[in-house]
Amino acid sequence: MLGKLSIRNAKRQAKDYIIYFITVAISVALMFSFNSIAVSEDISDLSTMLKDFSKYITGISVAIILIMAWLINYTMKFMLEKRSKEFGTYQILGLEKKDIANIFTLENMVIGILAFVIGIGLGVFLYQILTSIIMNLFNQPYQIGITFSLEAVGKTAVFFFITFILVLWNCRRKIKKTKVYDLLYAEKKNENNIIKNIKGNAIIFILSLILMIGGLVIANGEVDKINANEKADYIVPAIIMLIIGVFLFYKGITSFLVKRYLDNKSRKYKKNNMFLYRNLTSKINTMTITISITALMFMLIFIGGNIALLYNNMLNNEIEMSFPFEILIQSNDDDFTKYKEYIEENAQVKNMYEYRIYYINNTGIANALKDTNFRNVASYGYDSVLSLTDYNKLREMVGADKIELQDNEVVVNTLKTVKGNVEEYANKSNSLQIADRNMKIKGIEDENIGQVSFNGDYYAIIVPDSLIEEISKEDEIVRNENERLSGKGYIYKLVVETEETTSEEFYEGLEDCMDKEERQVTEVVNGEEITYTIEVEDERVEVKGARTSQTRSMYTIVSFLAFYLALIFVMATATLLAIQQLSDSEKYKYRYDILQKLGMDKKDINKMILKQILFYFAIPMIIPIFIGIPTTLIVSRTVLSAITIEEVIRNIGIIFGIFILVYGIYFIATYIQFDRNIEEKR
Amino acid sequence: METLLKVDQIQKYYGNKDNITKAIDGISFEVEEGEFIGIMGASGSGKTTLLNCIATIDNVSSGHIYLNKRDITEIKEKDIAKFRRENLGFIFQDFNLLDTLTIEENIALILTINKISEKEIDKKTIEIAKKLGIEDILNKYPYQVSGGQKQRCASARAIVNSPKIILADEPTGALDSKSARQLLEIMEEMNKKMKATILMVTHDPLSASYCSKILFLKDGKIFNKIERGEKERKQFYNEILDVLALLGGDTRDVR
Repeated sequence: MLGKLSIRNAKRQAKDYIIYFITVAISVALMFSFNSIAVSEDISDLSTMLKDFSKYITGISVAIILIMAWLINYTMKFMLEKRSKEFGTYQILGLEKKDIANIFTLENMVIGILAFVIGIGLGVFLYQILTSIIMNLFNQPYQIGITFSLEAVGKTAVFFFITFILVLWNCRRKIKKTKVYDLLYAEKKNENNIIKNIKGNAIIFILSLILMIGGLVIANGEVDKINANEKADYIVPAIIMLIIGVFLFYKGITSFLVKRYLDNKSRKYKKNNMFLYRNLTSKINTMTITISITALMFMLIFIGGNIALLYNNMLNNEIEMSFPFEILIQSNDDDFTKYKEYIEENAQVKNMYEYRIYYINNTGIANALKDTNFRNVASYGYDSVLSLTDYNKLREMVGADKIELQDNEVVVNTLKTVKGNVEEYANKSNSLQIADRNMKIKGIEDENIGQVSFNGDYYAIIVPDSLIEEISKEDEIVRNENERLSGKGYIYKLVVETEETTSEEFYEGLEDCMDKEERQVTEVVNGEEITYTIEVEDERVEVKGARTSQTRSMYTIVSFLAFYLALIFVMATATLLAIQQLSDSEKYKYRYDILQKLGMDKKDINKMILKQILFYFAIPMIIPIFIGIPTTLIVSRTVLSAITIEEVIRNIGIIFGIFILVYGIYFIATYIQFDRNIEEKR
Repeated sequence: METLLKVDQIQKYYGNKDNITKAIDGISFEVEEGEFIGIMGASGSGKTTLLNCIATIDNVSSGHIYLNKRDITEIKEKDIAKFRRENLGFIFQDFNLLDTLTIEENIALILTINKISEKEIDKKTIEIAKKLGIEDILNKYPYQVSGGQKQRCASARAIVNSPKIILADEPTGALDSKSARQLLEIMEEMNKKMKATILMVTHDPLSASYCSKILFLKDGKIFNKIERGEKERKQFYNEILDVLALLGGDTRDVR
């Protein structure tokens, strides 16, 4: 009998809680698919770094569980409140509190188990999709097929049901503790507590703005300090200011709305403003905390997601900047035979080129980078020089046109990120003193030829071939400024392009070709002479494939986990908003019924419902947008040397787009269901 | 006096072929401008159904209702809301005020729905509140005032837009006798001083005694009709009780 009653109740409730149900099911699906990835051998075999993936996933699962617990707890509390009258009636009819708690437990277990089963079903597909995405990232073929890991199911079940049962336990306790009176009259309890102290709220509102703006300004200053490698002591206070600001903002915004729309009669009486704002202000007032938490969460997703993307972009850009060619080798002697043999044996060579980089006394260009993160080059005391022939060959390899130079002209090729700085410098003093000759700077190029300490440090000077001979004769070159110079004034380079990208094993093999030299070093420590041998590598080998694979693993881990967390965050919070609106729709139905009786058009009513829900969903977004964007920009300044501002803006766009998509789906679902509830005949 | 409302042979059926309930079974009557007409009857006599049909909340099964010679049973679904807000004023038994709005805003609400200019709204709201003696509580919320004050607010809302006719459904039903009397005096004033035409459904003889004319319904038909004329209210009240006694067994329903 009791079981029947429970199942029937669970069914009847389903309508209002369908969004909750779907969210829980999708969360289970996500949890299951990520656990499946964690235990999948296909994936851990891809790269050494991915082996750690499962550790991260277990760690993240803790965060996910906390969010889920929050969502489930909140929803159950809501269900309890909504049905307090029903449970009160049961109690008056003589049902034991224990029995009522049992009914509630049973119902929720039915919902939970159902959501779990559906979630696992969905998760099987989701796992396939995620796996094929990862496989694709690593250029591995993958056959989509049904695989099912019992270990993953087990893990997911443990995570999910422990959360679920703990929350249920809490609800049971609550049911057993409440009195019949409270159950019967719970509905009256949370009645309106509409703003009373408008002036106080206005002060709070202004204070919140000051706190938030102040927090941002301080954070901005601290980032400057971090960039300058100074200690940033106020970053934590700045964050605290922001958080307090957010809470106060939502407390104060009510008064702002009231002041703006309700104290001014001509505004208030315009169209249907009054009804909407009153609905809204009465809501916000009672739900400040939920909304602030929601807003903080969104802010976290927004900033966190942006940082993750920034970080990934930075890694990617670094590879692109460092590796215009698949293989980069540098040596003090011109004998590359061992390398060439190995490369030809193990890879298909498309292009191979040998050349030299010369070093000359500092011409002063380094001063152009004084204000950038690359300012340390100024202390190197030398500049890198490439001959025009070599430069044009490199340009050809990366697919750019040849350039030409007069005998008294040079060109500077820089990294894209510092091109502007060098241009600025060249505008001020457009000639360089090289080997006692005055050379005119013809222009600044930003062709990517690998200038992260390979072909020059961030920039290189391209000179006519005739000048190279003169440079070689130069006596004053600071030859031993750097180990690499080894007294010659130039260094040998070999770049190779292959048909296909190479692997981590290829890199290990190539490294073995390096000449290693043992050298005796004598040092004086505490007045005693100590002599020891070190292994010196005169040569340097870098392979794009190996670096890419590592970065890609990082990228996969970071972005998948960020995506996983953010998705569940957004879904959980959007679900909360949906549940609040839907379970209140009865109250709203009464209000909208009155409006209809008084003669408001159905079209207008529908428009108002849309506006109301839109407002409700939009309000928690105000802060994440107004704080999220500036903070992302501020944080991005720490990595701006590696990526451009356009990329930062694009990232914000991506994060925001995904966010709006998921959030929008919840919004539309809520609107449709709300509208149905209002339309429903009594 | 001109005829404002004409109810012509209306019928309202519920149920299916085999089991028909006639809630209204051929009712006809006319209401003249400026009248305060009461409709009495026991529960189930069809009085609320009749009111709902006139209010365009419910449809008739047959017959016609004319307001100012316009047949309101023929109004299209999409025009009903407009008709209602321009022509009718409502007073409900349970006030139907919005908790989130202040008393003032509740009155102004109907004017905003009618898209009256903002300046007008303020003026009209305060004017009507003064007339109905609720100007002191304008800034309070419904849950902060008494039932009688709430119903006066509802009355203000019903009349502020100067509707052709005010429909009142058991307006004193949820009030104590003192508040009920106060409200009825106000409605009488609305009728006499502000020239409002009021149609009130009630089963309370005291309330009915404030009307100028009363229709008695029984089983969906008009059972009797009395007019107050120049009579004292006390005398009219006794007359009502007499008719109710005639209504038979149903008097038990009457206080």
